[in-house]
Amino acid sequence: MSAPPLLELHDVTVAYHGRPVLWHVDLAVQSPCLFGIIGPNGAGKSTLIKAALGIVPLVEGWVHFWGKPLDQVRGRVGYVPQRESVDWDFPVRAIDVVLMGTYHRLGWLRRVGRAEREFAQACLDRVGMADFATRQIGRLSGGQQQRVFLARALAQQAEIYFLDEPLAGVDAQSQQQIFRVLSELRDEGKLVLIVHHDLRTAASWFDRVALVDMRLVAAGPTADVLSRENLARTYSGHHEVLDELGRAVEAGRRTP
Amino acid sequence: MSLLTAAAHVLGLSPNTFVVTVGMAAVGMAAGVVGCFSVLRRRALVGDAAAHATLPGVAIAFAITGSRGLPVLLLGAALSAVASLGVLVLLRRFTRTREDAATAIVIGVSFGVGVALISGLVARGVPGSGGLERFLLGSTASLSTADATMLVVVSLVAMALVAAFTKEATLVSFDPGFAAAAGWPVWWIDFALVALTAVMVVVGLPAAGAVLVTALVVIPPVAARQWTDRVGVMLVLAGLFGLAASLLGVALSATIPGLATGPMVVLAASAIFTVSLLLAPKRGLLAIAMRARQPLSLPLERAQP
Amino acid sequence: MMGIDGAVAFLTGWGGMHGWAMATAAVVSAAAAVVGSLLVVRRMSLIGDAISHAVLPGIVVGVLLGGRPGGPLATAGAVVAALVTVWLAELLRSKGRLSEDAAAGVVFTTLFAAGVALLSAAASRVDADPGCVLYGMLELVPFDVVELAGVEIPRAFLTGVVVLVSLLVALWSTWRWQVATAFDTDAAAVVGIPARAMTVGLLCATAVVTVASFEAVGAVIVVAMLVVPAATAELLATTLVGLMLMATGLAVTAAGGGYLVAWQLETNAAGMIAAVLGVGYGVAILVSREGILARVSSMLRLRWRVVCEDVLAAAWRAEETGQAVPGTSRRGVALVAAWWLERRGRLLPGLVLSPQGRLEAEMVVRSHRLWETWLGRHVGLPLDHLHPPAEWIEHYLGAEMRQRLEQEMATLADPHGSAIPPER
Repeated sequence: MSAPPLLELHDVTVAYHGRPVLWHVDLAVQSPCLFGIIGPNGAGKSTLIKAALGIVPLVEGWVHFWGKPLDQVRGRVGYVPQRESVDWDFPVRAIDVVLMGTYHRLGWLRRVGRAEREFAQACLDRVGMADFATRQIGRLSGGQQQRVFLARALAQQAEIYFLDEPLAGVDAQSQQQIFRVLSELRDEGKLVLIVHHDLRTAASWFDRVALVDMRLVAAGPTADVLSRENLARTYSGHHEVLDELGRAVEAGRRTP
Repeated sequence: MSLLTAAAHVLGLSPNTFVVTVGMAAVGMAAGVVGCFSVLRRRALVGDAAAHATLPGVAIAFAITGSRGLPVLLLGAALSAVASLGVLVLLRRFTRTREDAATAIVIGVSFGVGVALISGLVARGVPGSGGLERFLLGSTASLSTADATMLVVVSLVAMALVAAFTKEATLVSFDPGFAAAAGWPVWWIDFALVALTAVMVVVGLPAAGAVLVTALVVIPPVAARQWTDRVGVMLVLAGLFGLAASLLGVALSATIPGLATGPMVVLAASAIFTVSLLLAPKRGLLAIAMRARQPLSLPLERAQP
Repeated sequence: MMGIDGAVAFLTGWGGMHGWAMATAAVVSAAAAVVGSLLVVRRMSLIGDAISHAVLPGIVVGVLLGGRPGGPLATAGAVVAALVTVWLAELLRSKGRLSEDAAAGVVFTTLFAAGVALLSAAASRVDADPGCVLYGMLELVPFDVVELAGVEIPRAFLTGVVVLVSLLVALWSTWRWQVATAFDTDAAAVVGIPARAMTVGLLCATAVVTVASFEAVGAVIVVAMLVVPAATAELLATTLVGLMLMATGLAVTAAGGGYLVAWQLETNAAGMIAAVLGVGYGVAILVSREGILARVSSMLRLRWRVVCEDVLAAAWRAEETGQAVPGTSRRGVALVAAWWLERRGRLLPGLVLSPQGRLEAEMVVRSHRLWETWLGRHVGLPLDHLHPPAEWIEHYLGAEMRQRLEQEMATLADPHGSAIPPER
């Protein structure tokens, strides 16, 4: 019997307040790679990874990692949320944020020790942020903030990483740095899933991609998936049907 | 107890006054510490809703038990404060009413109900009901040694909880999405933080009263935030500021006759805040103004949009 | 029963005491509801809350300078205090980098504390006690009167009328600007509407209303009068005018009702008015168009429709294949549904479709198969994943959407090879 896929989504449907926003996603990733999740605004890309991570509940379907439900493998899955999702005026320093990546291994009540501190410092070093460890996070540039988030994910020592728009609104130097680290992770045999909105860079950066537009349009090797036909299907509005239907389901009535 | 009497004697206070003062200090300190997370989580006014909602609980607890004992009344206050938080959650979940309006509704209506209940009890001449009015603006005059001891114990437990779970509370307050993905029970930690705030609001009632007690959980943390960029330091500072404000307020209201405790405690806290706002080294308005004169000194000082 | 005579006797008895107190409460509540409507739709409820607390030091200073609690000096002081509150909160937010709620929390508690302290310090000179400040003395309002055209009229009532009338005049003369500003402040400013002046005006109006209601209901309970009627009306009304009228009506009703209940129960009238407002809001939550009852009933109706349609579709499929109707349609709720469908003429005994029932069943099956086809084509689900989603969605497709899907798919059979029934 072959090994179960690293990540498998089976018939995943997600709704916000009763309105389905992501329909019946069937997706399996067999081997480590840089995996891009691509689609237009409001297509449900972030929702897809939040659903996979159990942050938003599923209406239908299930998600397995290595053939097991998430709760059994939390420690092996890392996450980089969107940069806009947090309050950057929060009184924490870069190193404190990175240390949060070690909390899962520490568990309840145990405090951060020297080993964790040194490890967090090493993670900051790996993203080129060692000199900024004691800087309050609001006093970092957007790209630097994103690198701190990446360092926190590294501190999770995961085997599968989810990143939500890690390259949005980030300066070129940070972009290169982030991309280099992500490629290294892939080379170390880790699966890295990245929500991305820029089609131009997608072709050169990712090994495999999934095109998402309220449903999964296509998934597979980048060159095969990013075809003219698939892109037309993603960006040409078949989702109008899903949109209208979603509203009907939310209201509990029929469409016209 | 002899140690206590000795300490009171050294300060020239009666043992009861001494214990009450210690109680107020502990409450102020714990309120400051617990309030840090409600300020950081941008829920500063949730405590205000809980505070106003304590009144019906006080009145009902009194009406049912007929007891003037502080533990009974505060238990009633705590129950109705937590109920009001439940109402807020339900309103947000099941109605179109926006959060700000829902908070204001809970504040206004629960306070009105509390006033109506208390004045109904007073009008019926229920013995001891007149004393309930001290929960409006705070008064430490009638606190017994046992009451004060209870306040100290609750405050110590609250501070111990925050100290034990600082790591978890910080994580959830800073980045709930990341915490949820890492498997932390975000909803429960959040709820525990809000409930702890409600508890501190309740034990703060004798010090500051229902209308003003929210200041105890808001102003010291906000003042502390000015001085530091670290949660741990902020917790300690907020505790110290709360303690100072509480002591100062109680002392002032004791020296000037006819002055309720609550307003004095709040004004003391505001004074600490004003100093922090102006003079804090990095975030203080004075420091910002100085920096504006030498624009090239720290190019990365400002947060990027 | 009190009867009309009894009511007149109640309102005019004791020199018209109850009548005047109720009238005062009604006028003041109406003014608060009008201002509160704008506050609520502009999401400024908490500013209203903050202002109503923070005007206290302004009033006290006005009184110390020789004014009366509801007089012009106190009003001026209150307006100044309100503007200082908003200015300070904004300063703390922009310069002190506080969040909005923390800024409001710091400013209004501080100002309110200052007010109470001032009041206590000047207790010998000012005829007001701190308790009054919190919940007013509606019952005492009728005893402070002025003579107007030979009639003794309570001062607080007159103040309330003047405030209400000027409020309405101001609102009427700036109505379009108010609406535009409430809808989109920035857009209004861009097209040259004095949006900023509208906002400042609203803040001042909040302060004035607080002062006017101060003697009657105090600084805390006025929060309920500002916010609750408007929030209730928001659940029921669809236009801003409707919202305002309804809020005013609710406020006046609650003022009268609350006063009566308070008198019956011998308790504080202002507190009881707030309680009645709260009850009104609770009722609105239940019975409004998108209220809890409406939602529960629509959910139950949907469940019922799904059960009935599933029974019909099962009977149709049995006809199509010539097999017996599966046992799931002969158990539990489905059994009740079958009985009901029989009574409604959709089914004949033995789960056999009537002509009408056949027609309806066909549309469910048609929806089911069209959706399977669409999913197979656009979502790329494997064949064995198609049925469950279609079981769900078949109940939500309308005629128009079915036509659209059919034209797009241009096929007569679903992915399993079963024929798609035509639209009828």
